[in-house]
Amino acid sequence: MSRDYTRRDVLEIGARAVAMAGLGGFGTLLAVKAHAGDAWWIDPDKCINSRLGTAGAETCQSCATECVLTLSAIRAVNEFSKCGRCYVCPAYFDIHSAAGPDGLPSKKLCPRDAIERLPIGWIDPEDPANNFYEYVIDEALCNGCGLCVMGCKEPAGLGSVRLEVNHDVCLDCNRCSISTACPEDAYARLST
Amino acid sequence: MKYRRARRIGHSRGGEWGFRDALRAVARDGEGRWLLVGDEQVVVFTSDGEPVRRWATERPGWAAAVDAEGRIWVGEEGRIEVFSPRGRLEDGWQDELFARVTALAVTGDEIFAADVGSRWIHRFDRDRRLLNHLGDRHRKGGFHLPNGVLDFALDVDGTVVVANPGMHRVERYAPDGDLLDRFGAFGQHDPAAFPGCCNPTNLALGPASEVVVSEKAGPRVKVYDRAGGLLAIVAAGADFDPDCKNMDLAVDASGSIGVVDTVGRQVVVFDRVAGPEPAAARGAPG
Repeated sequence: MSRDYTRRDVLEIGARAVAMAGLGGFGTLLAVKAHAGDAWWIDPDKCINSRLGTAGAETCQSCATECVLTLSAIRAVNEFSKCGRCYVCPAYFDIHSAAGPDGLPSKKLCPRDAIERLPIGWIDPEDPANNFYEYVIDEALCNGCGLCVMGCKEPAGLGSVRLEVNHDVCLDCNRCSISTACPEDAYARLST
Repeated sequence: MKYRRARRIGHSRGGEWGFRDALRAVARDGEGRWLLVGDEQVVVFTSDGEPVRRWATERPGWAAAVDAEGRIWVGEEGRIEVFSPRGRLEDGWQDELFARVTALAVTGDEIFAADVGSRWIHRFDRDRRLLNHLGDRHRKGGFHLPNGVLDFALDVDGTVVVANPGMHRVERYAPDGDLLDRFGAFGQHDPAAFPGCCNPTNLALGPASEVVVSEKAGPRVKVYDRAGGLLAIVAAGADFDPDCKNMDLAVDASGSIGVVDTVGRQVVVFDRVAGPEPAAARGAPG
């Protein structure tokens, strides 16, 4: 059975649709706004990779292995204001590896080679220890395994490297799998 | 050369004569008493560890030195204070050159103050006129101090021996700032080398100009001859909490070494004893 719609019917249906869409949109906006102040974050004072007083502990790699993304939304960042620009950086080098011909450790610590060691200023080729270096972490390569964070932790380093959530890629899952797996309860929602 | 752990000086953290937040420096006076500096106080103990007296400093203390008159100089943040042997404040010296004074030496004519702000050692005459800096000719603009502490000692010949941890070196300077000599290199496995990012952190000189250094991660105390030959590993591994760092040192005429245990907030004393160093004491840090 068909029905003939008058012009009035069409206008009424259109008006209702617009009203419903408006209400739905408003509801969505309210929901988004209610969540907008929340974000996942890592408490550096709880994370075993950065927490003081745990020298010698095994590095926790849950942030690298538990994220639902192929490349974890967690990455390491180097806070340059705290970095010592060391000649031998324990976050960059595997300082326990055998020394190479230049006297430096022969292996890097990062399994993904995500840290770049950049000399600052002109280089003293005669005396390599006489140079400063900047350590830059490539976000596109880092998977947040935390090895460099543990390497730089006090007292071995200065604690300038820490793990952070990359909010540009984080899906902001309601029930984050890293949070569930975190053995230190360091991964939590923070109201900003 | 062999050492044995002899005793601890100072009360534990919660003790009446203890340090609430931080113990940072140690020195000996002419009568063998121990001067412990930290928090915002100086605490004096006899050579056997009996408390004698204590007094407040204006700011957190980082260094201590005793001059020929027995006065106690305390390096602080932005300031040096001078106290009588009984702890009465005699002088306060503020200078824009001082950010944090972490080592001091006072002779009859001169004052040397290590400052981590500039990363230099400032040399003054006793009228506080600046004579020159040490370390300012480094290509890095100063000593490389990732640990936030600059430590040195004056040798009997007037030279200045400095720990430069970011370069894994001990450097010897003429008082006018000329670099005379140096030893040390990075090495995680060779006990004679300096491991980690930045060692040695602290330094003192023994009675025969031996160079005594402390390291962090793992904490270790070693003795070198003047040319940099390793003479002894005084302490390592289980002797200190693994989180100890920037362990200040004081050596007396008998060669006993006082080491600041920065976690336990006491001074651990190692006496020199006759006999060879036991092989078990050697090894890489943990």
